[in-house]
Amino acid sequence: MKKIYFVMSIFVLLSLLLASCATTEAEPVIETVIKTVEVPVIETVEVTVIETQEVIVEVPAEQVEIRLSGWASSPSETALLESLLYRFSVENPDILVRYEPITGDYWQSLLTMIASGTEPDVFYMDIFQFPAYAQEGVLLPLDDLMAGTGTSTGDFIPALMNAFTYEDAVYGIPKDFNTLGLFYNKDMFDAAGLAYPTDDWTWDDLRAAAEALTDLSNPDRPIYGLGVPSDPGRFPIFVFQNGGSIMNADFSDTLLDSTEAVGAGEFYTAFRTDQVGATPADVGEGWQGTVFGKGQFAMVYEGGWLIPYLNDQFPNINYDVVVPPAGPGGEGNMIFTVSWSATVNCQHPEEAWRVIEFLTNEASQTTVLESGFALPSRISLQDSEYLANNPASAAIFRGAFNGAIPFMWGVVGSDVNNFMGQAIERVYLEGALVADSFAQAAADIRAAIEASR
Amino acid sequence: MTAQTLQKPRKRRRRSEALVAYSFLAPYMFIFLTFTVFAIGYAVYLSFTKYNLLRPPEWWGLEGWKRVLQDDLFLTKALPNTFKYVLIVVPVQTVLSLILAFAMDQKLRFRRFFRTIYYLPSVTSSVVISLIFIWMFSPQGVINQLFRLNINWLNDVRTAFPTIMMVNIFTTTGTLMLIFLAGLQDIPTTLYEAAAIDGANKIQSLLYVTIPMLRPVIFFVMTTGVIGCFQVFDQIYVMTNGGPLNSTTTVAYVIYKWAFRDTTIKMGQAAVVAIILTMIIMAVTFLQRRIIEGSGSAEK
Repeated sequence: MKKIYFVMSIFVLLSLLLASCATTEAEPVIETVIKTVEVPVIETVEVTVIETQEVIVEVPAEQVEIRLSGWASSPSETALLESLLYRFSVENPDILVRYEPITGDYWQSLLTMIASGTEPDVFYMDIFQFPAYAQEGVLLPLDDLMAGTGTSTGDFIPALMNAFTYEDAVYGIPKDFNTLGLFYNKDMFDAAGLAYPTDDWTWDDLRAAAEALTDLSNPDRPIYGLGVPSDPGRFPIFVFQNGGSIMNADFSDTLLDSTEAVGAGEFYTAFRTDQVGATPADVGEGWQGTVFGKGQFAMVYEGGWLIPYLNDQFPNINYDVVVPPAGPGGEGNMIFTVSWSATVNCQHPEEAWRVIEFLTNEASQTTVLESGFALPSRISLQDSEYLANNPASAAIFRGAFNGAIPFMWGVVGSDVNNFMGQAIERVYLEGALVADSFAQAAADIRAAIEASR
Repeated sequence: MTAQTLQKPRKRRRRSEALVAYSFLAPYMFIFLTFTVFAIGYAVYLSFTKYNLLRPPEWWGLEGWKRVLQDDLFLTKALPNTFKYVLIVVPVQTVLSLILAFAMDQKLRFRRFFRTIYYLPSVTSSVVISLIFIWMFSPQGVINQLFRLNINWLNDVRTAFPTIMMVNIFTTTGTLMLIFLAGLQDIPTTLYEAAAIDGANKIQSLLYVTIPMLRPVIFFVMTTGVIGCFQVFDQIYVMTNGGPLNSTTTVAYVIYKWAFRDTTIKMGQAAVVAIILTMIIMAVTFLQRRIIEGSGSAEK
């Protein structure tokens, strides 16, 4: 019997030791997040005690429940949102926010929840998906509610606010955004004896640099000047820079077979055809961010999401970011943005709005910005200290101002993306002529628009 | 009078037995009715509607069917690709697993070790295997290094689909081998002895004893193989997403794409394709049964 106790106690000791090891291994990033949560905890304990006493007397069980959903892209981002919601619950004891993050396929889940009438009150809405939801009248118009709290559309970056405006009504408050920047590897520029890119670069500078940076001498580790994926989330900025567009103003037709778009396609695909650029698949990767980190692409067009990835996976890379070089038609960029939107079936629109208002107010946006996850949608934060100290993020932020266009092609968005990607793939994989390939893509898109009516 | 009194309790007993049986069946029947019968019925209804999940389904008559039967992606890519897949994968995996089963049925050294090895891919998640194959077939991957090739397997219109076929053959062959092995060990040795006494050599006893006796097993393996191949989805979803240039788009992938992936959700047309796929599978299975069980001597 004693032996068993002895063995058991050793096991207990061992497990305690192991547990203590596990906690010390936690990353410092997570620790700071926990700290920000801890401060309000003390406040809540005091406040809720007082409130419950009063509330019971006045309006019993009047706590309104608001369900809130979003995708969960990373644990630290979820922790950040939870800490914001905690602060909200302290300031608004009459509203109970139930956070229900959706892991896995967000749009599939949201669609099925809407179909079965069980959607959350407040949820993320991506600009790319927005047109279909706005057109079907699933989202709650926010204009009256905004007027109620004195929230002005002018407080937000205009391009973002316009993105979530459909037929003169606002259906979402942008929570953050991203644009594309030209990421470049400083060490590779130094090795090639080239001057670093600037915001004043043009297509000619880009092409010349790509040629100088390419080094195919080692077949097992080819180095290309520029990443040119057949990605509909990257290529369109070249069309904008060439003075063209992907869709017309009301998304009733595509402009992919215009001379501007075809010209942009010829410039873009020539990088790969002339072997001074490549797709991530050419070097065996799924994403060019990884290739850039490994030093096999000297320049890539990516968004601010690449910054934390590089810090995490490739901490030794020496890089910087500038706004995309201008083309013959001037500067052009794309905006990726997500809003907080509410469902039209919301039982408590006033309360839902208070949640959205809180999550996008200046204090919350500052917290988001300083966490380094995303760029804030409020204009007032453009002179913030954080952006002054983080030039890479600042370059992505600047990208939103010079005629940047939201990444959105109307209700047939996914078809446009499909056919645009295939148009570039046909050039890459089958050696098709850009003009023919883009003409076919335009015809396919027109058929899809016709079918969607 | 006496006959009646004798019959009544028997009838009653039979009825109560049936009641007990049904009550045992009830839990499963409930699940079956809601999640299979009702779901299929609803899918049939949806195939006659226009439905994007955001707005309630709207009656559309045969419009959805008409559009599917004119759709380029479905007719020129998904259908031919799926048939190509079935016609290549099913025979290859059946023959390969049959050969493996014969080998494992011999008194080999390390027989158990080999059986385990061959069965391993079948117990591994298909997603994991797909990921491993992505690495193996990447431009700088093992396959290219080993054979001194420079092929971008998964991003080339000519090689992407065959690569996915290989993955599926690799995963399923182990299970099929096991089924064949069980079938082989079920054949009584007396039959082989009788054949040997009649002067049959090894090949003759294989052709006239083993294969005919294995016919039900072959039917089972081919049928499940055909059904599985017609529904191929997970490897494609993980490895290529239907690309490059739709060269790996199959019918099941089209259903997923239209039902959940696009910004213009076409649930009705996805339901149409799902029904067409079901009808194809049923027709092919029926035909197979005719061919395999009809040829040669009938079993029963």
